[in-house]
Amino acid sequence: MKRAFCILMLAATAAVGFDMARPGYDYQFPRDHFSHPNFETEWWYYTGNLHTRQGRRFGFELTFFRYAIREEAEGASPWNIRDLYLAHLTLSDIAGQRFYKTDRLNRAGPGLAGTDAEKALIWNGNWRVQWLDPAMPKGALRLTAYADEFWLELDLSPLKPPVFHGADGVSRKAAGEGKASHYISFTRLAVSGSLALQSETYDVKGLAWMDHEFSTDSLGADQMGWDWMSIQLDDHSDLMLYRMRRSDGTADPHSSGTYIDANGRARHLSWSQIRMTPIPESDWKSPVTGGVYPLTWKVEIPHLDLRLTGTTDLDDQEVVSERRVGPSYWEGAMNFSGQKGGKPIAGVGYLEMAGYDKPLQLGPQDP
Amino acid sequence: MTAASVLFVRLIVRPLGREPVRTALTIFAVALGVAVVAAIHLAGSAATGSFQSSLETLTGDADYEISAVGGIDEKLLARLQALPHPLQFFPRIEGYAWLAPDRISVPVFGFDLIGDRSLDTVAQTESFELDQLTADDSVWAGSALASETGRQLRLTMNDQTREFTVHGILDVSAENGAARSNIVVMDIGAAQRAFGKEGRLDRIEVFIPPQDGRDWESIITASLPEGVTLSRQGSRSDENRKMLSAFRWNVRVLSYISLIVGAFLIYNTIAISVVRRRNEIGIMRALGAGRNAVTLAFLGEAGCLGVVGTAIGIGLGWLMADSAVDMMAATVRSLYVSSTPGDVLFTPEPLLVAVASGVGVSLLAALAPAREAANVAPSEAMARGRHETTARLRIGRFLAYAGLLAAGAWGAAQLDPIGGMPLFGYLSALLIIAATALATPAIVNALTRLLTPLLRAIFGAQGILAPRSLSASPARTSVLVTALSTAVAMLVSVGIMVGSYRDTVIVWLDERLRADFYVQTVGQRDARQYPTMDPAVADRIEALPQVAAVDRFRAYEIRYRGRPSIIGSGQSEILIRHGRLGFLDGSSNKDVLTALGSGDRVIITETFSNRHGLDSGDTLRLPLGGRMVDLEIVGVYYDYSNEGGAVIVDRKTILKYLPDPAPSNLAIYLADGIDSETARPAIEKAAGSHSVTVADHRTLRTRALEVFDRTFTITYALEVIAIVVAILGMAGALAALVIDRRGEIGVLRFLGASQGQVRGLVLFESGLIGLFSNAIGLLLGSLLSLVLIFVVNKQSFGWTIQFHWPAAMLIGALTFIYAAALIAGIYPARVAARLNPIEVVHEE
Repeated sequence: MKRAFCILMLAATAAVGFDMARPGYDYQFPRDHFSHPNFETEWWYYTGNLHTRQGRRFGFELTFFRYAIREEAEGASPWNIRDLYLAHLTLSDIAGQRFYKTDRLNRAGPGLAGTDAEKALIWNGNWRVQWLDPAMPKGALRLTAYADEFWLELDLSPLKPPVFHGADGVSRKAAGEGKASHYISFTRLAVSGSLALQSETYDVKGLAWMDHEFSTDSLGADQMGWDWMSIQLDDHSDLMLYRMRRSDGTADPHSSGTYIDANGRARHLSWSQIRMTPIPESDWKSPVTGGVYPLTWKVEIPHLDLRLTGTTDLDDQEVVSERRVGPSYWEGAMNFSGQKGGKPIAGVGYLEMAGYDKPLQLGPQDP
Repeated sequence: MTAASVLFVRLIVRPLGREPVRTALTIFAVALGVAVVAAIHLAGSAATGSFQSSLETLTGDADYEISAVGGIDEKLLARLQALPHPLQFFPRIEGYAWLAPDRISVPVFGFDLIGDRSLDTVAQTESFELDQLTADDSVWAGSALASETGRQLRLTMNDQTREFTVHGILDVSAENGAARSNIVVMDIGAAQRAFGKEGRLDRIEVFIPPQDGRDWESIITASLPEGVTLSRQGSRSDENRKMLSAFRWNVRVLSYISLIVGAFLIYNTIAISVVRRRNEIGIMRALGAGRNAVTLAFLGEAGCLGVVGTAIGIGLGWLMADSAVDMMAATVRSLYVSSTPGDVLFTPEPLLVAVASGVGVSLLAALAPAREAANVAPSEAMARGRHETTARLRIGRFLAYAGLLAAGAWGAAQLDPIGGMPLFGYLSALLIIAATALATPAIVNALTRLLTPLLRAIFGAQGILAPRSLSASPARTSVLVTALSTAVAMLVSVGIMVGSYRDTVIVWLDERLRADFYVQTVGQRDARQYPTMDPAVADRIEALPQVAAVDRFRAYEIRYRGRPSIIGSGQSEILIRHGRLGFLDGSSNKDVLTALGSGDRVIITETFSNRHGLDSGDTLRLPLGGRMVDLEIVGVYYDYSNEGGAVIVDRKTILKYLPDPAPSNLAIYLADGIDSETARPAIEKAAGSHSVTVADHRTLRTRALEVFDRTFTITYALEVIAIVVAILGMAGALAALVIDRRGEIGVLRFLGASQGQVRGLVLFESGLIGLFSNAIGLLLGSLLSLVLIFVVNKQSFGWTIQFHWPAAMLIGALTFIYAAALIAGIYPARVAARLNPIEVVHEE
């Protein structure tokens, strides 16, 4: 029997002393691409849909999490812990109908994980995102990640400037002061590079999306989880939507979205402007966590005259931490098709559904 | 019933049944011999093979490990973890903690408890706060150390004794559980602080992806700085095994002594059986039994004795194995490497060895007498005395063979070892034993002839009868004397070797231990453990007005050409004034140590020099502090502290490459005219709250000799068993002799000898056998000790041992054996005295 060295981190420290996401935040780059240690929780999500020249399709996710444990590390040793760095890496092999996932947890230690604004680097071991020109952090990024069964070496070029979601520099999650995050995205990154799977190397191209979010204690008390979507449409417009789910099954009215037009101009969408509905017939039950996830979604933005159906070609894209550190969630490559302004339209994207196996908590926790 | 089985029953089973005591004694002798062999085989792996388990089984199967003398800069870890390959690198800190109440030293491992995925499958803890993870007093303990979470452990690490809180019990699975159950685990940062290794890692373990056959060794090595080495996981274990193989070999060879003694006894038993059953053999042959049938019958007897003895012996060996493990483990710990003995596993190998040696040796020993039995012609059956004549006639030929074998022994002693094993040394010893066995009849004859006039003068009639009856049956007497004298010789030879060794060490210790006090961290220290102390302790002691000088010694483990060893550093300017080292070439301390104090120079121990073929003037290339350093060898000195040998540089030299000022030991020299006992309180006060011990040189000397003696416990235990086997055998054989000579004894009694006189006669005989055995054993043992000291020891370990007679020990042992021989005569003497003269004479 495999028994884990279970470090149960009862680290839900009170958020005292950390900054909350407040309106009026002034985004500055390159600073804001890297760590905000004054906030308790921070993550960098890279997701994307890739394909080979022959049309073989892959999805990938590389996520770096930072959870602050305390405001200041005690003592001089680099091994003393201030933050925990968790990272998830997945590869969706659509043709092979397999989902590969792995994760790692580190402290900063003597350079094991962290972010470095000077080197323009975000890393956890050999999972790294490096701005190719540190002086120009709006330029191209190189994403590299190595696991036993697969690796990624991808160049990501932003086709649009960074987007700040929400209104007045905050993306609200619930009612109340600080129940929000600061939220930055590259919504359209052109990808070219290679990936290897089971000792076969593939040249790939495609589109990726980057989310960078930092906050302290942003969830409302009655929130169970969320559904989040990134959509990259053929007409070069992009859409980000999230629905905060409350324990009674309803959506928190602070849920919202952003529409980014082909020129990169972002428009905040309030919840009243958004319809995003799961189709219950598409439910898929995880054999691992028992969570039941709806895999087909209807999306409607009436004032844009946009109607889409999102589907996936691979059911099991549930990310379950091998060491059961951090929450389990479904995060997978999606296809979208429908109509915009009466004309057929299609696109790709990613869907994230969190809090389906149990209520979501941020930070590492009891398995 | 077939003819053969009738023959077997009549010739063998019935006579054996008629003499249950003698049969039992022979069986028991074989059993003891087999037991010792089985026990040592069983114990060998457990005592010497377990050192690799505690870490390796805890963390799963790493593929490689990265290490460097004095540790690795921890920044290397991040660089390795960032390599664009699916490799996993996990850091390790290793040390030992002294558990004062239990008086044991337990291994302590520092792991990256957050990031180390190799721990996932092997250990578990209960939940705890993350804050506790990095705390200085947080430990996770094996189940042998703490039964439940929350317990306190008082541990000494380096020179600090503190209370630690157990936050979890490590999962102890059945496999290698014993090795794992008394370990302590800490988070890496806390472990670094506890052992004064901040910023450094002892090792980095490397896991490579399965089914990826790239040349990882080259890929990883290319990323390592100079002086940092990559080795295959388990190569440390292999090195340890290699290092211990000479020790295991020698103990195994020793364990066969009892069996050799047992072989002589089987030979004797069968030979006596043949002589005593000549009548039956003659009758059987006359009735048509073939020669082969007779041979087989007697071999069958030996086989029966062997099988029963082996069966009992395996059981006994199983019982003795645990003690053998303890004794061997003590030696391993004090001489080689810190290790926790594993469980005794009943694998087929020791079982097969026991059966093969027990039964095989029995059959082999019986071959000669069985063939002799087959040569008995039916007509000869009634004729007595013929056999003895043949034996006497052969004495000359035996002596010639003995001479040949002795020449062979001398030749074998001159040959080089094979693969580091003194195989020819062992062969030489075996040939000497065989030569002596062949020469024994001649020696017994000569001694008897020599002694008879003297004995007659002193003891009168008994003085004539006893030696005469011995020389009347020289074959039997000689075998008896050979068995006992072989055992005596083994005792004598090992006694001389150990005694000489001990004496050499004492002389060396007296020469070496010239300081008034020695300071080290508390706890009894195993080999290859180097806890350090706060350098401020040394500075404070040095500042005392009573103190003339403090020599700070620091040791690190190194590997040189696949062999573990030590690099030590001392202060040569202090050694010049106060210390004394013995150099092989007789160089003066001042010259060599002055040279040592200037630049990258080194002195090496005799063992290191022998093992690696290095000498003064050669260059030693070692990885130190991230680069390869060439050290010029300026001297080779005698040292008996460590089997792997050591290389010593000046303190300034080591600090240049490994700038850690913490010393492992201090030697304190007092100012002239200061009495040591008045200085001690000041020194102890200067040590403050640090957990160090201040010992004067006498204490240190005593402690060193205790370790020495503990090391040889197993040797003595094996010797004693061999002697017991011989004595038991002798009692049985004498009883047979008595029964054989019942007619003669009956006539003596008929002629008026009293019961007391008959008893005295038999006791006298056994006394003579004891005397002869002692004399021959002493001679043989002295020869063997030369082989042990100058061939086996030199080739296995490389130590120079000054030959020395441990007179008191030898006199004591020989007296004991002589007394035991006399006691062995009591039972046969009683048998003889109880014979009814009328009945016996009537039989005749």
